[in-house]
Amino acid sequence: MTDLSAHQNSSGLLFTSKRIVKYCLLTAASLIMLYPLLWMISSSFKPNDEIFTSVSLIPDTLSFDAYVRGWNGLSVSFSKLFFNSLMVSVLAVVGNLISCSLAAYAFTRLRFFGRDFWFALMLGTLIMPQHAVLIPQYVLFLKLGWVNTILPLVVPKFLAIDAFFVFLMVQFFRGLPKELDEAAIMDGCGPWRIYFKIILPLSMPVLATAAVFSFIWTWDDFFAPLIYLNDIQNYTVQLGLRSFVDSTAQSDWSALFAMSTLTVFPIFILFILFQRLLIEGIATTGMKR
Amino acid sequence: MSRRFKRQLVSYSFLLPWLVGFAALTIGPIATSIYLSFTDYGLMAPPEWIGLDNYVRIASDDPRFWTAMNVTFTFVVLSVPLKLIFALSIAVALNKGLRGLAVFRAIFYLPSLLGGTVAIAFLWRQIFAGDGLLNRGLEYAFGYDGPSWISNPSTALYTLVLLAIWQFGSSMIIFLAGLRQIPLDMYEAASIDGASRARQFFKITLPLLTPVIFFNAVIQTIDAFKAFTSAFVISGGEGGPIDSTLFYTLYLFQEAFVNLHIGYASALAWVLVVIIAIFTALSFLSAKYWVHYDD
Repeated sequence: MTDLSAHQNSSGLLFTSKRIVKYCLLTAASLIMLYPLLWMISSSFKPNDEIFTSVSLIPDTLSFDAYVRGWNGLSVSFSKLFFNSLMVSVLAVVGNLISCSLAAYAFTRLRFFGRDFWFALMLGTLIMPQHAVLIPQYVLFLKLGWVNTILPLVVPKFLAIDAFFVFLMVQFFRGLPKELDEAAIMDGCGPWRIYFKIILPLSMPVLATAAVFSFIWTWDDFFAPLIYLNDIQNYTVQLGLRSFVDSTAQSDWSALFAMSTLTVFPIFILFILFQRLLIEGIATTGMKR
Repeated sequence: MSRRFKRQLVSYSFLLPWLVGFAALTIGPIATSIYLSFTDYGLMAPPEWIGLDNYVRIASDDPRFWTAMNVTFTFVVLSVPLKLIFALSIAVALNKGLRGLAVFRAIFYLPSLLGGTVAIAFLWRQIFAGDGLLNRGLEYAFGYDGPSWISNPSTALYTLVLLAIWQFGSSMIIFLAGLRQIPLDMYEAASIDGASRARQFFKITLPLLTPVIFFNAVIQTIDAFKAFTSAFVISGGEGGPIDSTLFYTLYLFQEAFVNLHIGYASALAWVLVVIIAIFTALSFLSAKYWVHYDD
């Protein structure tokens, strides 16, 4: 008996010490992962001459000057840029939720001529690289006189161009019991009432996931604003930050770090608030980011 | 109006936004860009048909195209496997009933969410600049004063590879979900048979995870071909120094929207689409030799 318990004890000990090593390694890895971000944030509070002379994360003096300088560092205030980004991102969210849920509803709950054909084409657009359509889309928006407005960034979202969200919602709607629709039809409801009164209220989880991802992707997007927006008055924060990087070349680092921190701040907040939603969204659908 | 016809009409009213978008923003543009790729077009004058000239020039008379191919393939070949190895290792480490899993998972995931932004690209530039964080750290630790990794053509691309690897979190989450599908009793049976942890990993975990590895590899490869923002910001929009970070997408952007060679850029775009399609097709063909599917 003594032998056995000694054996258990030593293996238990081995187990914990292995665990401790594992925790230490994971903690070290987390710190390496986070270090660049922490350095960015801490640099935004440091005076310029301290940023590249010290590797410490804790500034000698805490100063918000850089935020003030950075906020007004371009010919337009960052208030305007944040407003523009917010506008584009919110409209993108609204557009995606409406148009993608309508399409997904049609694909899953309605029977009509050509449904499977259109559905196959929708799946096809999922894997098609954007490069094939990029240039003609630009020419189209140019001819419509939409270049240098936010319309090219927003209108496509109202036309369910992000097939990914259609697919996401199709998967979710398929899981909702058909008996609900049948009962509603018995009670004399048409498709629109079923969509508004039954499907949408039951789909809050998938709508929330789509909303958060739409917002983050639109907020982060650099390419579309880069080709469509020329006037600094219309810039999103990503474009503004890039101009700021180019214009202050080699001088006001803390202001640049301050504005960098601010442009990722909304994403960070959404991440904190909706972490589970985001992680489940990726785990179940394999969304790329 | 018959009831049936009315039902069709109501159904199509739901599909209408998608149909308009599909026609105007997908099918129309695909047809147009195929056409434009056979023309000389600079936005000012109408497109002029030149047959296969653009494609011939890409293949035989455009050194920057080959540079861009070289840069892009180097990036894909280095960043995708390394990213997946990190993602899988961390996922395996996190998998077994670890306390604080949620915190670690969140920390490792965060960079994937932020990594594509201008802010992070700028941050990366400052880390690897001549007087950047890395060199200050090296000097502090070893007294070694390093070069500028960003402005050196032989290292600039590798800083971007590192940035891509730093964003392994989303693949890690997909791996974690995959690991959770593997039944625990398989490991129990293997332990009873005396299989070591390493052997269990190679004989159980890895084979059963091949569908997830395959999925991640395809998604990440397609994504890597499309990399743009970080290269754009880090290289100041030009793919420098001396074209060492001239990603294919960056070259495409310059040709289309800076030089306004719309016809030529359309041909470049189709070459990229075909390359991605071939890559994806090859992956799927290879899958039957190494991806293990449950019957």
